[in-house]
Amino acid sequence: MRLLIPIVFVLMCLAQWFVPGKMIFDSEVTRREGILYKFKTRPIDPTDPFRGKYVTLSFEEEVINVDSTAGWESGDVIFIEFATDDEGFAKPSALYREVPSSDSYLKTRVNYVSQYDEETKLFYDIPFSRLYLEESKASEAERLYWESLSDTTQVTYALVSVGKGNAVLQNVYINDRTIVDIVREINLTRE
Amino acid sequence: MSKHVLKELPQLVDAGIISDETAEKIKSYYEQQPSQSANRLFIVFGILGALLVGMGLVLIIAHNWDELPHVIKLSVGFVPLLIGQAVAAVSNFKEKSKVWKEASAAGLFFAIAISISIVSQVYNIVGDLSGFLFIWMCLSIPIVYVLRSSVASLLFIIGITWYGCEAGYFRSGNSGYEYWIFLALIIPFYYIEFIKPQIKNNFFYFHSWLLTLSLTICLGLAASTDEELLMIAYMSLFSAFVSLAQLKEFQTGRVLSNAWLVIGSLGVIVLLLMLSFDFYWDGIDSGYSLQSPEFIASLATTAVAGFLLYKLTQDEPISQVNSKSMAFIAFILLFFIGLAAPWAAQLLANVLILAIAVHTIYDGAQRNHLGILNYGLLIISALIACRFFDTDLSFVLRGLLFIGIGVGFFAANYYMIKKRRKVV
Repeated sequence: MRLLIPIVFVLMCLAQWFVPGKMIFDSEVTRREGILYKFKTRPIDPTDPFRGKYVTLSFEEEVINVDSTAGWESGDVIFIEFATDDEGFAKPSALYREVPSSDSYLKTRVNYVSQYDEETKLFYDIPFSRLYLEESKASEAERLYWESLSDTTQVTYALVSVGKGNAVLQNVYINDRTIVDIVREINLTRE
Repeated sequence: MSKHVLKELPQLVDAGIISDETAEKIKSYYEQQPSQSANRLFIVFGILGALLVGMGLVLIIAHNWDELPHVIKLSVGFVPLLIGQAVAAVSNFKEKSKVWKEASAAGLFFAIAISISIVSQVYNIVGDLSGFLFIWMCLSIPIVYVLRSSVASLLFIIGITWYGCEAGYFRSGNSGYEYWIFLALIIPFYYIEFIKPQIKNNFFYFHSWLLTLSLTICLGLAASTDEELLMIAYMSLFSAFVSLAQLKEFQTGRVLSNAWLVIGSLGVIVLLLMLSFDFYWDGIDSGYSLQSPEFIASLATTAVAGFLLYKLTQDEPISQVNSKSMAFIAFILLFFIGLAAPWAAQLLANVLILAIAVHTIYDGAQRNHLGILNYGLLIISALIACRFFDTDLSFVLRGLLFIGIGVGFFAANYYMIKKRRKVV
């Protein structure tokens, strides 16, 4: 018993380092080895009690066509591969139930399946829908987004690195400039 | 207390009740004793300080300093974890005081949240709140046992309740069953620290309140398709609470400080008052699945309530047992009656509340306890108030009923106070 407590204490400390450490390792591997895609997006501005302000991204490509609604349940684990369209943005190209053999695919879950006009669409969860920002910048970023909406020449997209199952959101851009840079510039101009 | 005794000493010596020598002995005894209240205050402020610092750091991290490079942000985020672990190690292995252990446990508890938060921020990892709480609680449970920390245990109970609500209530497609595993992990601590050694300190009271509230909030996680069966589960849970409160290990000096009794008793009465309306009985049918989560929850809680009632009746005659311990048996009978004749079950639910109220008033009178007596009268008042909503009684009759209950309150309290004066 006297020896057990120090052992358990050390194991506890190791676990407390291992879990966030594994999160860092997985994210770094995805950032370095994953394929970069641009996802067209729309941001809004909510808050997480622990992790602070972030911009939530709503993606246009969170849907893929399937043959029928049969066999798809909400919450099913799926694997999606992406390709690039003529404008250079990501679009889902293949859907799997098992792990594919390629080096770049996203592991996610079925949100829901709907049928309309002989087309069956499978909506899936996008697990990289948050960009954490400094609290003063998050609402400014949201304002910029709404301004960019009224200006049809502006394109908002997220740069995402997709590895083997994991995906890491690297940044959000409005017309090829990061949203953080634009907010920083606005703040400097005001000063 | 000691100060008060010391002040009285000269008078006691003058009156010849104690000798000078005895007065000196008493004085030196109290001087050698460590001040209990000072110790307690030290523990309270130590823990409060650690909690506030921990929560403050979480908020500062949440600001998200995006001007800082990733490596620096990650390093800063892990500093609280490093310090928390170091202080915990020192307080544990150098046999430091309780204040050190509790404060370091609280600090380490929040340091884990900070380290996960900073990684999520840097890599924009979404993970919903329930996922975040799940990892946090998994990494925190060892703190409770390794440091034997009551504060960590209390924070853990709050955390798992939050997790249960996030995962089970606020998110579709998840039953939050992990809550029950977490709960099973923390119950042994409550038993080892308080129940087995019969320690009834403030931590025991806090644990009892949080556990009863947590169970009451999270039993509803079993809700799926046969929601009417949940009423059986809840009635059995509250009956089990009342039974537990009567076991020697869970008894407390005052009725109101016993969380198991207060939550259990109020729970039984509120449920019975709900059952005295027709909406529940109109909704039940006989087509329930024996594999539904509600059925399993009902079976489990009824088994526990039955076992505890059996244990109680082994030690004392059934007439001495709180009538609310048996409410689950009465309700299960009512449920089966309700399947055939809903109106009869509703009527019997009203009779049952009345019987419990009368028994409570009788119990209060027997034990010369004004609080219990008035609680019984309040139950009757609540029943009458409920009947205002769904019966067609005339205003005169309703008025007379309320006058009757008012007179009853006055007469019962007057009788009791008079009886007490006679005894004095």
